[in-house]
Amino acid sequence: MSLAEPAAGALAEDAAPPARRRLWLRLLTDPGAALALLILLVVVLGAVFAPLLAPHDPYAASRAVMQPPVWADRGDWTHILGADGQGRDILSRALYGARLTLLIGVVSVALGGVVGSAIGLLSAFYSRIDPYIMRVVDMLLSFPAILLGLALVAALGPGATPVIIALAIATVPDCARIARSIGVGVMAQEFMEAGRAVGLSDWALFRRYLLRNCISSIMIFMSLRFGQVILLGSALSFLGLGARPPAAELGMMAAQGRDFLLFAPHIAVIPSAMIFVIVLAANVAGDALRDALDPRLRA
Amino acid sequence: MSPPEAGAAPPALEARGLVKTFDVRRGLLRRRVGAVQAVADVSFSVGAGETLALVGESGCGKSTLGRAALRLIEPTAGEVLLDGRSLTALPPGALRAARRDMQIIFQDPFGALNPRMTVAETLAEPMLLHGLADAGDVGDRVRALLAACGMQPFHAGRYPHEFSGGQRQRIGVARALATRPRLVVCDEPVSALDVSVQAQIVNLLQDLQAEIGAAYLFISHDLAVVRHIAARVAVMYLGRIVETAPTAEIFARPRHPYTRLLLEAAPRLRPGARSRTVVEGDPPSAMAPPPGCAFHPRCPMAEARCRIERPQLGRVGGADVACHFAEAAPTPQDEAPQAEEGMLARRIAALQAARAAVGQDRRPAAAPPPA
Repeated sequence: MSLAEPAAGALAEDAAPPARRRLWLRLLTDPGAALALLILLVVVLGAVFAPLLAPHDPYAASRAVMQPPVWADRGDWTHILGADGQGRDILSRALYGARLTLLIGVVSVALGGVVGSAIGLLSAFYSRIDPYIMRVVDMLLSFPAILLGLALVAALGPGATPVIIALAIATVPDCARIARSIGVGVMAQEFMEAGRAVGLSDWALFRRYLLRNCISSIMIFMSLRFGQVILLGSALSFLGLGARPPAAELGMMAAQGRDFLLFAPHIAVIPSAMIFVIVLAANVAGDALRDALDPRLRA
Repeated sequence: MSPPEAGAAPPALEARGLVKTFDVRRGLLRRRVGAVQAVADVSFSVGAGETLALVGESGCGKSTLGRAALRLIEPTAGEVLLDGRSLTALPPGALRAARRDMQIIFQDPFGALNPRMTVAETLAEPMLLHGLADAGDVGDRVRALLAACGMQPFHAGRYPHEFSGGQRQRIGVARALATRPRLVVCDEPVSALDVSVQAQIVNLLQDLQAEIGAAYLFISHDLAVVRHIAARVAVMYLGRIVETAPTAEIFARPRHPYTRLLLEAAPRLRPGARSRTVVEGDPPSAMAPPPGCAFHPRCPMAEARCRIERPQLGRVGGADVACHFAEAAPTPQDEAPQAEEGMLARRIAALQAARAAVGQDRRPAAAPPPA
């Protein structure tokens, strides 16, 4: 563009609105985020299609007790990731175990997240009830999730359900706190008053102005929380509170491998490494989501 | 210029004895330790299609008064009438419906628009809400509204952060006028913009006022803009109106000592040209307003009576003034021609020039807003 015709150039630039890049495209341009999403995708697909992918019955014992994985000295291709203390195929168990682990993570974060953010946002919206709600949330917050899990298991018996309930309840206060602080910041903005001045009802104001401006930050918190919940769920399983044997769950598999840690470390290390990778990927993906959703970085 | 009360039709906005106090709470138990009287017993009216400017220094209660008039802040006492209809007792649903006729333009063009809504959504919202458009024709109406405010049709699909401050303020103006309201409170609509953009927005406001016939309550501390746009001016000090007069009258013959000092404080081109009287000290705390006339601690004319007795608004010449010495005080009539010189005059001239230019080239191109 020459200096002689800046007006025409400016007009042309103004007349052609640049196409907005889609959210997932922005996510995929970040290599770390792309890798994290790929890992999560592989884990989810592996869990969903476990019956098709698993080379062995995850519950069937065999003579290959404590067989090491294929890359170790005595490993072979029948059990790619080796076998556990009862000769069960670790790859098959890991695929099935990821199902339960992911289910616990997704359901408890979704339940706790929805309830928690509803409480937090209502508290931000109606400042009159805010102090009362938040004191209750503080009480919940001071109650450790492990203890809650123990109590629920004592009441309901062991299994995945009490673990999900305990983790959902433990997510509620955290999410309520976060949602409230995000919501209070949004409430202080002038556009909330502008919406009221237009004549919007409380419900429309809540949904279109408050929720829309908070939802991305809350989603990011929930994606990070997902990693923590999987870790907590695995910890509960490790303590023997979660899934009941012989069901496969990554945390429980790690717990069972503990007895053989010195002479067959792979039994505990492989499920632990899987938990580590899933949690790490969830955290990286959450971080990338925050960057991608930030309106100031939108182009 | 006659005051609007003289007309047969009720004024667009009438406030009677409006009071707004904010409790001040301190400590662990949030005990009430006092109250700030932001607006203290204020009565005024804005005629249909008229522009009343509300001026005063920061913290004098201008914005609170504007919001209390719209019931965006619930007034502590007093009554507000919109077109002769009382807003004070309206239940929430009826108040929301009444908001069609009273809108507000905010000072900060960056904060007043929902960042997650496109311009089209923002502008369609009031029209759909108040039944002025349906899903079929709302797109056309949004485009017509954008055109009336000097924006392009493709701007409708964009988000607020993609615009400059001036463009955002145009969108804010468009939203406020989308429902063709009877009253618009303009809360310092141009003070966050730079001077050239200010002139555009002021002109836009005037054009749309001519189209729609809305009354403006124009809150500002910029005397050049006020002089250009307003028919009448109300001067506020510490929650009270101390002087109201037609614009020409108040600039030529400011009667309240505070008004005089306020006009004196307007920036001048040649600082040494005239000796300046400066308003000394800070405004007193609104938590503990001084007894008598609130202005007496800073007033050059204060006497014993001012410390005890609060002056009421009274008619003096063409103005209503709340000062015991309004009639006795010398009116700087001989200085009136000089008041036109300096920065103030230059900016007024710039505003008028911009207006004339718009009248020549832009006006025919702009489509009228939706009927």
